[in-house]
Amino acid sequence: MDSSNDEALDIIVTNVVATFRTRCHLNLRTIALEGTNVIYKPEVGKVLMKLRKPMITASIWSSGKIICTGATSEDEAKLGARRLARCLQKLGFKVRFSAFKVVNVLAVCSMPFAVHLIDFTKNNRPIASYEPELHPAATYRIKNLKATIQVFSTGSLTVTGPNVQNVATAVEQVYPLLFECQKPLCK
Amino acid sequence: MSRPGLSCPGCGSSNIVEDDLYAQQQLVCVDCGSVVSEGALANDPVGGSEVSYSRTTAVAKKPCMNLIKGLQRVKALCRTLRVNREIEDLSETYYNQAYQHKSFIKVSLNKKEVLAGCCVLVSCRLLNWPITMGTISCLLDADSMVVGAVYEEMVKILNIKAPIINVTDVMEAHSQEYKISSVYVPEELAENSKDLTKRAVALVELAADSWIVTGRKPIPIMMAAIYLAWQSLKPTKQRLKYSLDKFCQIAKVNKHKPALKRITEMKEVLCKLGKEIPWVKEPVTPDNVVRLMEDILQHRDALLRRALRTHEDALLADCQASCEDSLIEETAPSQISEVVEQTPDLSSVELCESNAERAKQPGDGDDNQCAASEQHSYTQGSQDSSQNWGKRVLFAPPCVIHAKKRRVEQPEPKDVTGDEEISDSEIDSYIRTPREARDFALAQKMFSMSESEKS
Repeated sequence: MDSSNDEALDIIVTNVVATFRTRCHLNLRTIALEGTNVIYKPEVGKVLMKLRKPMITASIWSSGKIICTGATSEDEAKLGARRLARCLQKLGFKVRFSAFKVVNVLAVCSMPFAVHLIDFTKNNRPIASYEPELHPAATYRIKNLKATIQVFSTGSLTVTGPNVQNVATAVEQVYPLLFECQKPLCK
Repeated sequence: MSRPGLSCPGCGSSNIVEDDLYAQQQLVCVDCGSVVSEGALANDPVGGSEVSYSRTTAVAKKPCMNLIKGLQRVKALCRTLRVNREIEDLSETYYNQAYQHKSFIKVSLNKKEVLAGCCVLVSCRLLNWPITMGTISCLLDADSMVVGAVYEEMVKILNIKAPIINVTDVMEAHSQEYKISSVYVPEELAENSKDLTKRAVALVELAADSWIVTGRKPIPIMMAAIYLAWQSLKPTKQRLKYSLDKFCQIAKVNKHKPALKRITEMKEVLCKLGKEIPWVKEPVTPDNVVRLMEDILQHRDALLRRALRTHEDALLADCQASCEDSLIEETAPSQISEVVEQTPDLSSVELCESNAERAKQPGDGDDNQCAASEQHSYTQGSQDSSQNWGKRVLFAPPCVIHAKKRRVEQPEPKDVTGDEEISDSEIDSYIRTPREARDFALAQKMFSMSESEKS
């Protein structure tokens, strides 16, 4: 993903969370009995199923709502969700894959410079907030993109947003602000 | 007045009027005289109405009792911290505002007390009286995360822009908590609070330059600084023997475990600087660096510069050694001896330095080859160093020095579209065969039976 500068910043997507519905009631005990890689949690009322090929963990509720986590891209999340639905179909449930939606994307990125967090917060109040006693990073929330960026003083960022495009835009937006508050690396 | 919509149960007439009898309201049917209902008393819930009698007869709205108690708590906190009148007034104003807001009006009393503390905290910050959140948590005897959450919510609701405190600002207030003056402890262990603060502030400034302060909680840093300052102000054998634990006991403060790590880190930095002192002949170790601390802190700027220069020289020497190695591998033996003899240390070292300095290549035919091979080795080095600049510089935070290997992005995701065909065999691997399922059910039953037998 190229930024407005010459160097390209590596934005690595580490987690994609997606939900979908099967439009039918699911019997959790059957799934727990007949599925492999399955953990049944009766106290919470859900089943955790792990797929191998896209490394995905799915939480399955008896109402038919399913949350998939662990994918590294939106397409992978969709593939994993469809695989899961197919698996449930084979177990005997009348599954219809519907309402697939990517809910959250988590990405990390590393700036090639360190950031002076106090200056960054002062320049960008109230969008940015920094409480060193609570958390070592400054939080920058972009309302219109619904993205949250946590900036660490070493220059690492973690970005969360509703989809990959928003995450990339958020990094582009915040880069110039970080650039002007950079700290020289030694002393 | 007649009441429409009601019908008399006796005669069915709808001609019902309100009639007062002995100040009790009654609904009476005009035609047959039966009483339809007897005023509000009949409709009151059992056990009295929801609103208490005193409240219904009250003339003016009384302020909430908890609000008054909360304001008194705010006052008490301000008195304990001994802040000035302005801060007290400001905190009370904020507490009034925040209390009435919908996010705080119905919370538990515990949280309202925490809110009182947060109001005091934000007023202190705005009026330049630095205290830490840790102090407030201590006074309220509450978890600092809870205090933090309430603080952030309150700041958002009241739209306050509070300045961030610097560790050096808070140091003075913090050091007052330590009961280490001659009033409390014997003379050999006593220290004047002013001297202690001054030395500790110098130590914290040094720590801030060397990546110890950034991103860390301030209180353990301050504790470590005060402990080391106390030891170095009179580095007698007795004081040096005192561990952090004992020091906190005599100063009557609660020990923070991270302070031990900070002490180690600070001593490391002091050792790195101590090595540069020209008049110290013996090797500087974390054990004997406390005695040298006064000199180190006094001349810390000069020592820092020297340490950085020494480090750079060491790096260049390494780089030059690796360049020579690569030269030996790539160029012909005769050329090597020429290049190595002719090129003085300085020019090959220059080539090794930054990209900008690569422009200053000596215009020597042999050196071009040298430059080419060095470019190759340098670009590799620069890739590593841009991701792990901790190895290049003298001071860096631990997360950079021991950087986790970043997971390389797999090329697989590019082939995935999300709508591909899913083969049956793949899915079958996730489903147990009927026989496996039966065995599993049996095993579970046996397992649960043996467990119930045990218990």
